Amino acid sequence: MKQYTKQGLWSLFLICAFPLHVWTFILAFRDFSWVTERTNAWDAVGVMSYGLVFAFIESLVIFLIAVLLGFLIAKTWDPERRVTVMGHMALTASLWAVITSLFFLIPISLPSSVIAFLVKQAHPLRVLYGVSLVLVGLTVFVPTMLILRSQAFFRAIRGVFERLATLTTLYLFFDVVGLIIVILRNF
Amino acid sequence: MKKQLTRRDFLKLAGLLPLSVAAPKLTGVLDAQPFQNVIVVVLDAFSAHDISLYGYPRETTPNLARLAERAVVYHNHYAGGNFTTPGTASLLSGMLPWKHRQFIHYGTVDENFISHNLFAAFPHHYRITYSHNPLANNLLNQLAVGGNFDNYIPSKNLFLTTDGFIPDLFAKDEDIATVSWVRTIKRQEEGYAYSLFLSHVYEPYQELKIANLRPYYPRGIPSVKSDNYFLLEYAVDWLGGQLGKIPQPFLAYFHFMPPHAPYKTHRDFYQRFATDGWKPVPKPMDIFSREEDYNYEELKTARTAYDEFILYADREFGRFYDNLEKAGLLENTWLVLTSDHGEMFERGIQGHFTPVLYQPVIRIPLMIFEPGRKTRTDVYENTSAVDVVPTLAHVTGQAPTPWSEGIVLPPFAPQPPDPQRNIYVLQARTNPQYAPLTTATVALVKGQYKLTYFFGYQELNAEDRLELYDVQNDAEEMNNLYSTKRETAAELLNELKDKLAEMNAPYL
Repeated sequence: MKQYTKQGLWSLFLICAFPLHVWTFILAFRDFSWVTERTNAWDAVGVMSYGLVFAFIESLVIFLIAVLLGFLIAKTWDPERRVTVMGHMALTASLWAVITSLFFLIPISLPSSVIAFLVKQAHPLRVLYGVSLVLVGLTVFVPTMLILRSQAFFRAIRGVFERLATLTTLYLFFDVVGLIIVILRNF
Repeated sequence: MKKQLTRRDFLKLAGLLPLSVAAPKLTGVLDAQPFQNVIVVVLDAFSAHDISLYGYPRETTPNLARLAERAVVYHNHYAGGNFTTPGTASLLSGMLPWKHRQFIHYGTVDENFISHNLFAAFPHHYRITYSHNPLANNLLNQLAVGGNFDNYIPSKNLFLTTDGFIPDLFAKDEDIATVSWVRTIKRQEEGYAYSLFLSHVYEPYQELKIANLRPYYPRGIPSVKSDNYFLLEYAVDWLGGQLGKIPQPFLAYFHFMPPHAPYKTHRDFYQRFATDGWKPVPKPMDIFSREEDYNYEELKTARTAYDEFILYADREFGRFYDNLEKAGLLENTWLVLTSDHGEMFERGIQGHFTPVLYQPVIRIPLMIFEPGRKTRTDVYENTSAVDVVPTLAHVTGQAPTPWSEGIVLPPFAPQPPDPQRNIYVLQARTNPQYAPLTTATVALVKGQYKLTYFFGYQELNAEDRLELYDVQNDAEEMNNLYSTKRETAAELLNELKDKLAEMNAPYL
């Protein structure tokens, strides 16, 4: 069986690009005011434009890694499920990367009861890492199993991906605008 | 019998014709160029306020003190602005920011002045330059296009790790491309970056390259823009070595980052002042203070780190000098040490990106080492960064620099300077570059007084703010005399406003 279809690869790329672009937009808008204050609004637009171009490049890298990882999956899977599983993994990994960043971005902390529990342990960091590993494993493993076993879940995820893909197409349009701005700024 | 000029003789003489055309020019060159070398060293953000040579209680500059015994030391020297862009441009152009127009963060000088600068004043010298600072490089890039250098060493050449591909790819937009790259890839800055994945790979990769140097720099390895790491000692040794190899006479301009933030000193100086018990004079908060800098203790800690970083810069300049001396270069070289602006740790303000123009951010060192000088001369007259170009041109026999707003400095000038000469410093970072100055701070230093005029700031509800200090008798600027010395203040303000009107006129 063919491992990927053209449409599947395009969908996978869009899913990989989605979280990277959303995150870039959020941070670039946060930076807009200080860059404007530092120099001017056009420079703030410039920072955002470069950010989008870099996000596009990172999307390509993550997409290529996802595609290569997809080849490790048994050939018996149909291409749609393969793309859905890889897309889910890219999204989940992005989500966890965002969560680790949020720790620095907004003043969040573990609930005091959890901290009290950790403090009581002989090796709190080991426990913390162990729990994190289990959590990450579950968020990867459970949806993957559901995609493979449950047609309803598979269809639901596909539906979500299709909507996200539409949104990402808009982001790609902004990438093109960003690229034009970068070119303009360098001429 | 008079010999006739034969056809053969005529042809021989005709062969000499090009030489006869060139000869007067060659003679002119030889007369005007006594083949003395010039080296200008800038230590970035080096405030005279924190230099023991100028009376700072902490001994931050033992090497400068040693070398001062063979130098002309200027005690009241002022930068053209309070950050790199205007400060460096004023030093290199001999013009104040309102004339060269490089007073915005990442500005370039007015195109009309590309040919009016230190390098253009030495057309027959071999001109070599290097800068750690990207803002100074922005200016040097502009001058390089104007053909002012024989050897412009890229900043990345002396970095241990570098994002050199960014300036290579985006040469015309280096600053913003770099800002975006830093925000994209470097989580160190804030703990997060635009990049969710590649930033996790990039940092360990960069870290690997410098891991063995970490023990020598307890606060981290000196760096520019996060992780463009460098060692001042490496730059000093390499550039010093180059000076022995390049053709003479040469003009060298080296712009080193220390003691500019981040203050990452060598372990030899780490915590040297941490427990000395010295306390800076507490000063009232300024309206332009920043919330994160309110805390007196934190400002004191930052200042201690800065002072310890000065020790590092001082040692390396001392080594630079000693190496030049060993190489025999100082016998025929004018060496200048100065800065582009100062640094402050008071009134709730840390650093130099600020609308205020208190002494710590504008009073900078200037030392001139004359070939063969064995004695020290102290100059207490007010002097300006714009004086450096005309002075160097004068002492080395170059053509005068009529475009400069500066004067030939004492003791090299044929006549002593006017003690009531006006020295101006300008801050106009948010003002449009080619428009009249409507949001700015201008300081006028005249004799013992300094008038500071703030206008157009939102923080001041667009009202004027005026301060008058007797900087000779009140070096810490604690007593604003504006309301008690009204006559002096009015006189200075009138002069300042007249000057502003003159400088704004071309942009009205």
